[in-house]
Amino acid sequence: MATVLYLDELSKKFGSLQAVDRLTLQVEAGSIYGLLGPNGSGKTTTLGMVLDVIRPSGGSYLWFGRSISKATKQRVGALLETPNFYPYLTAKANLQVVADTKQADHRHINKMLDMVGLGTRSHTTFKGFSLGMKQRLALAAAMLNDPEVLVLDEPTNGLDPQGIAEVRDLITRIAAQGKTILLASHLLDEVEKVCTHVAVLQAGKLKANGPVGDILSAQDQLLISAEELAPVLQLLERLPYVVRFAQDKNTISLTLSEGYTSTDLNRDMFAQGIVLSQLLVRRKSLEAQFLEITQK
Amino acid sequence: MNLIKTELRKILQYPTFWVIMATYVLLQVLLIYFSSSFMVSGQALGKSLYDFPNLWMRFSYIAYFFNLLLGILVIVLITDEYSYRTLRQQVIDGRSRTEAVLAKFYVTLGLAATGTVFLLIMGLLFGLIYSKDTSLGAIFGKIDYLSYFFVQAVGYMCLAMFFAFLIRKSGLAIIAFLAWSKIVEPIIHYQIDDSIDRFMPMKVFGSLTPTPGQEIIDGLTSPTLALSPAWAVLPALFYIALLVLASMLLVRYRDL
Repeated sequence: MATVLYLDELSKKFGSLQAVDRLTLQVEAGSIYGLLGPNGSGKTTTLGMVLDVIRPSGGSYLWFGRSISKATKQRVGALLETPNFYPYLTAKANLQVVADTKQADHRHINKMLDMVGLGTRSHTTFKGFSLGMKQRLALAAAMLNDPEVLVLDEPTNGLDPQGIAEVRDLITRIAAQGKTILLASHLLDEVEKVCTHVAVLQAGKLKANGPVGDILSAQDQLLISAEELAPVLQLLERLPYVVRFAQDKNTISLTLSEGYTSTDLNRDMFAQGIVLSQLLVRRKSLEAQFLEITQK
Repeated sequence: MNLIKTELRKILQYPTFWVIMATYVLLQVLLIYFSSSFMVSGQALGKSLYDFPNLWMRFSYIAYFFNLLLGILVIVLITDEYSYRTLRQQVIDGRSRTEAVLAKFYVTLGLAATGTVFLLIMGLLFGLIYSKDTSLGAIFGKIDYLSYFFVQAVGYMCLAMFFAFLIRKSGLAIIAFLAWSKIVEPIIHYQIDDSIDRFMPMKVFGSLTPTPGQEIIDGLTSPTLALSPAWAVLPALFYIALLVLASMLLVRYRDL
């Protein structure tokens, strides 16, 4: 698979603030790559750098194996932070400006407006649009010259549930056309639902990255208790498939490595003569996992 | 060509543009029309103001004051691109930063050309109605003042463009533009010798459209050392190039 975007130790300092700290990652063609992190973690700065509007203080990046240029920009459609249009121009006139810049065929404009459901509103000025419509217009603009890659920054930010559903549906449809999508979001379930790969950012640092299944696998958490906790703790130390465990008063919470279940644990405990008084399987929330990753 | 087409799309549908241009035309017509009744040493200037060929010199001097309005228009057009974040989007979409500045420079050329054509029409209109001498020789006698006005208008707007790209906020940029052109630089002029300050940008731009009747004033007091319009063209073009280059460097080396 070809690498669409490669970041090598990319850094950005705003004054004394290290917004992005030696970020290295690789986005493969055809993936939906999520950039996940809380507000202020450097997602937008990272996208701003690879989109040529923020100057990196260090490191480099390559699009399609090349430095950024007019030619690489034409293969990428992007929306950064907010939909950026002239408020006094109509939806159509705004897309004409975009089409000029991208040297895209002006005949695509109506098609794109239809795709995002704004076909009937093409003569409304941008300032008359709701936030959801603005966001959809931005998607239409990004898709105008049928780019191979879409870069989307918080595409559902500030939208109502219906708007979120519409935009997500649009993204999934676009992804189904085989395009590579780089998506920044602070919403865990958005990344989990939409993305194939994820990079977790915190305070400008890369905390984890890989396929969504590996990083955000909703691992089960077990809660156990017994009359005597000491032998239980001793045994847990020795069990190879116990990833981590922690004692909390009378209960112990633990995570097992993939492929093992509560049955394995229960059998091994019993074999050592330990009888558990409680064995509870709890699905770990995405939020808990996220906190776990970022606190590592 | 593509750049100009895009700029036209944006400008021609912008209500603010038409309001400022209407103000520009209206105020200038009013001033040109009523200037004939201005009193100078107890005497109205009268219709002789519209005599060819000196009309071109007088009209371009009147138009000189309205360059401020064109400058403010340029500031509005540029700072809008920052507040709408459209400059940023255009760079994302594939326009280079140099092209972004060039596009605005073309806008100043277009506005200066519009102002010059407007002045030509006004001159012909008032001249053909009121001038005593309407021979071709008289009409085109000093029409080169229109070209000096053109250079001056571009110069003013390039200064405005520089402040717009430097400050990026419309209000502050307009204040900086007015303060520099009308207060700060004139104060500097007082502080330093005429032989040097005649090469300063606002003085150079001003020299392109000299005050009508300067010859008479010079006869009464010591002559000014201001450059003649023809001589001022060269330093004016130098400042224009410098301002455009400085704007390009600003946009090139800053985050958008």
